[in-house]
Amino acid sequence: MNFSTLRRLALTGALACAAVAALSPMAPAFANDVVLRVSAIPDEAPTELQRKFAPLGKYLEAQTGMKVVFTPVTDYAAVVESLATRKIDLAWLGGFTFVQAKIRTQGTTAGTAIPIAQREEDSKFTSKFITADPSIKVLADLKGKTFAFGAPSSTSGSLMPRFFLQQAGLNPEKDFKNVAFSGAHDATVAFVAAGKAEAGVLNASVWDKLVEAKKVDTDKVRVFATTPTYFDYNWTVRGDLDPALVKKLTDAFLKLDPANPEHKEILALQRAARFIPTKKENYDGIEKAAHAAGLLK
Amino acid sequence: MSRIDRDPAARSRLIGALAMLVILWPLFQAAEVKPGVLFDPGNLKVIGNFLAGFLPPETGNEFLGYLAKATLETLAIATAGMALAFLIAVPMGYLASGAGREKATLNPVTRSLLTILRGIPELVWALIFVRVFGLGPAAGVLALGLTYGGMLAKVYAEILESVDAAPARALRHNGADRPLAILYGLIPQASKELASYTVYRWECAIRASVVMGFVGAGGLGQLMDQAMKMLNGGEAATILLAFMVLVFAADGFSGWLRRALDTPPANRASPFGWRSGGLGLALVVSIVASFSYLEIGLKSLLTLGPAFDSVVVEAARSIGEFVAGFFPPDLSAEWLAKVGKGIWETLAISVVGTLLAAVAGLLLALPKWRAPFSFLLNTLRSVPELVWATITALAVGLGPFAGALALALHTAGVLGRLYAEALDNAPPAPGQALRLAGAPGGFAFLYGTLPGAAPQLIAYTLYRWEMNIRMAAILGFVGAGGLGQLLYFELSLFHHAQASTVIIAMLLLSIAVDQASAWLRRAMR
Repeated sequence: MNFSTLRRLALTGALACAAVAALSPMAPAFANDVVLRVSAIPDEAPTELQRKFAPLGKYLEAQTGMKVVFTPVTDYAAVVESLATRKIDLAWLGGFTFVQAKIRTQGTTAGTAIPIAQREEDSKFTSKFITADPSIKVLADLKGKTFAFGAPSSTSGSLMPRFFLQQAGLNPEKDFKNVAFSGAHDATVAFVAAGKAEAGVLNASVWDKLVEAKKVDTDKVRVFATTPTYFDYNWTVRGDLDPALVKKLTDAFLKLDPANPEHKEILALQRAARFIPTKKENYDGIEKAAHAAGLLK
Repeated sequence: MSRIDRDPAARSRLIGALAMLVILWPLFQAAEVKPGVLFDPGNLKVIGNFLAGFLPPETGNEFLGYLAKATLETLAIATAGMALAFLIAVPMGYLASGAGREKATLNPVTRSLLTILRGIPELVWALIFVRVFGLGPAAGVLALGLTYGGMLAKVYAEILESVDAAPARALRHNGADRPLAILYGLIPQASKELASYTVYRWECAIRASVVMGFVGAGGLGQLMDQAMKMLNGGEAATILLAFMVLVFAADGFSGWLRRALDTPPANRASPFGWRSGGLGLALVVSIVASFSYLEIGLKSLLTLGPAFDSVVVEAARSIGEFVAGFFPPDLSAEWLAKVGKGIWETLAISVVGTLLAAVAGLLLALPKWRAPFSFLLNTLRSVPELVWATITALAVGLGPFAGALALALHTAGVLGRLYAEALDNAPPAPGQALRLAGAPGGFAFLYGTLPGAAPQLIAYTLYRWEMNIRMAAILGFVGAGGLGQLLYFELSLFHHAQASTVIIAMLLLSIAVDQASAWLRRAMR
């Protein structure tokens, strides 16, 4: 029978594949020392993240003498898992993602994740509530409307707005007609501008960037509320990274000087005035807010 | 009206219709069906703007480069996933099947394992594997392998049971053991059907691998997700075109393969013709090429650590930790109430979507209308539900109605085609007789043709409903409500105990729908 032959062939072929795959050498295991693997939470479109990182990557290569590889991802939680499973060394995390990473890596062989630097702006970060609906003027008007958060585990696009909404007496699941998660800050603006959601919330820094770049029609979409300030983003390293390398990386960030034209470009792309040191205690407030908002159990 | 003229089935039909209304009304409520919003001028403008953005499609060189890479990746994921599914399906199908056994006992353990593999949508597997193995195609391949392995195994087992058992029984009575009896007694009879179904599944795998990109498992879906999220119409249009070409090509290729299976083998002694040899070679080459293109080996599945042993141990431990987090599932009353609401919403989306699709599909399949509508049918069904959901969410706002509409649009395309075939195959005599007796065309169709085709139509509709409940469970990933949104949210927050309740709910719901649909099919026969 023709096809039993075919089937046998298929079977042997697949088995051979599996065997080859299983026996292929684990060479990259030794690449650890020469390559610095970097990733970032996908709070903006992946192409934008790569564009933003390119000059910083070159700078870090020069400062550490290592090859820097940036891996874009589309899932917040995957960045946390990758730190815990030692698939990346350095990551740009949101405040809440850092708290998740800290909890996830405590007591693992990867060591507890360590925050090394943050932008000056991150110590007093805010979120903006936006809408294109003229009838929405204050937070209380959101009752019965459709609302877009960013990613569920975003600090400025989900956790902190939720926390402040709660303090204003609003429960998103009960009071809003529908809650959507756009996945990223720029997507939230697209949702609201297109009328896919009647209102939404995003991080102030991305909003300012979109306004400056004229990527949003401010006649139509407007900010109607802003949250109080909180600590947000930082650069975090894997807990078991060589301390000398951690020091080099920290210094590299802190050394970035707006007076130096080359550094200025890097800082502008990162939307940072300069980088300042940070410590994990800075994020205790976020951890409390996450418990209060029911996002951490 | 005299007693004789009255429809003798009137009473039972009336009761049936009332019962349907009573059951369906709350479901329509839960799906938030509001046809009015479809024609709201504000919404029409929004969707008009988005669709206008589709033109011109993006043709930048950089983007086309990404697109070509993603298309190859999608093909490779589907092929590698099918290879894995085949490896799973053969032993599982052998264990689960009653074929070739002395007594037709079924293996309950394997059967239930297969139900679990099939019942959890591939998108959920992909979402979990993305966490364990990192982002990229490996997660997609594994997810496809598991779900499709489950499906293939079940169908293989059933095909082997359905062919004439006499040759296998004769072999066994002469002392052959079970594998040999199946190999020489059953497989020769079933081989064409087995191969044909496998090829059909490969075609489905291409569609599925596109959808899995939505959770970061690589390929065209990942590109599409980004374009749709940013509401970038030009890019979305190009990706959609590429996807449709891919689906049509796969469709054509698998049709050609299946027809090739129908031609009898050449009359010669050697079983190796140029065709089987060529196909076999092409198959092996494409599978090997797929795995190497995706760079999938154990090394990509395991953590890259300093030493070999610790790497394996650590990876196993981290996977173990991850899996252990899902047990025990959260069964608190508060959470169960939330999941219950999700189940109800998901059920509503699937029922409303399927019903709307059945009506639209029937209209599109009406004999007189068919020719110009076949293109519309093909377009409807080649756009995946998740993509439709992004568009319908613009039209009617986020929520279950958007999900139901998305299901309806895609399913209308599928059902329209199936209905058209069923109507073609319905016995022509009753309709002709009515027409000759002077009945107008509409009546001849309603009372002559339709009843003949009805069992087939109902069977197709119920079968699609079984598929749609799985899809409805995941539409929430793009904001269309139901269990999917709950799952996406909880997994994002590492609330694994809660996520595991949702996955169990999805599984139970799909099993319940399978049972209900089997029961309905029996009841309507």
